[in-house]
Amino acid sequence: MSLTPLLAAVKAWPISAMVRGDLPGTEWLFPIIETLHVIALTFVFGSILMVDLRLLGIAARSIPVSRLTAEILPLTWIAWGAAAIFGSLLFISNATAYAGNLQFRLKFLCMLLAAVNMAIFHLGAFRRVALWDSGQPPLSARLAGALSLALWIGVVFFGRWTGFTMT
Amino acid sequence: MFRPYADWLAATPLSKTLQDHLWIVPTSQSIHIVAVSVVFASACLINLRLLGVGFKGRSVSALSAALVPWMWRGLAVLLCTGLIQTIAEPVRQFVAPVFWAKMTMIVIVAAMTFYYARTVRRNAPRWDAASTRPAAGRVFAVLSTLLWVAIITCGRFIGYTWSLYA
Repeated sequence: MSLTPLLAAVKAWPISAMVRGDLPGTEWLFPIIETLHVIALTFVFGSILMVDLRLLGIAARSIPVSRLTAEILPLTWIAWGAAAIFGSLLFISNATAYAGNLQFRLKFLCMLLAAVNMAIFHLGAFRRVALWDSGQPPLSARLAGALSLALWIGVVFFGRWTGFTMT
Repeated sequence: MFRPYADWLAATPLSKTLQDHLWIVPTSQSIHIVAVSVVFASACLINLRLLGVGFKGRSVSALSAALVPWMWRGLAVLLCTGLIQTIAEPVRQFVAPVFWAKMTMIVIVAAMTFYYARTVRRNAPRWDAASTRPAAGRVFAVLSTLLWVAIITCGRFIGYTWSLYA
């Protein structure tokens, strides 16, 4: 089974041509959408970084972990939704090339692993957060924080490198 | 107007070295984005708190005291990586009006943030109670958010517009 015909069909959509700048008056659409993607993703990464540093015991040690996550993560999800919408628009503009791009694939591998890491953390250490909310997080929580940090840095790096290798 | 300086800088051995190693600029840009995230997310949280949206559990002075130092650390990294990118590709930066707009706005927002942090530190009780907090807090929140968004936009548009002026 090949995805190529599907990706080619997506790329042929009128909206994809607009993002690509192929239609009159849409020449600046791609840079504008990419800028919105960057604004959203910087908030996503920056806010995740704050939670990760708290889990590692490096920053915000005086704030209970459960309160920090309750305050920050809803905003992170809103920004992630925005980044995903803008990112999808960028993707459809050249679906076949992005799908075949190594850096682009590695970016999504990192994001997938970050999601798995997050799920394990929420089903594991975070369930017992009441036991360590105000103190030093247990090893499994610190490990989740370190992994999240590394994987999201990977997302940012491979995202930037996608732009350099797509031409 | 700045083109001769850019051409001079591009011809220096340091610039040549940075140009010769093709991985340096994208790597520097990636670190730049990581640092932008630290600064922008910190600014957003402070500004949301000043506008009365969320983070009610922490006082304005405590939140600012925790986050503003991270903004300075992030800005220091941005300065270093930005300098590397400018030395490596001086023409691209110097001919683009959005580059100079970005630099101007960074100076303004950094001065604003410094002054804001100092004011809050010195008048913490007044700033922590919503009833006595100066209206200037809301003005700062809106202005600094707009400036950071404009700075990121200009940064991204250097790459898209410089060739129009080169």
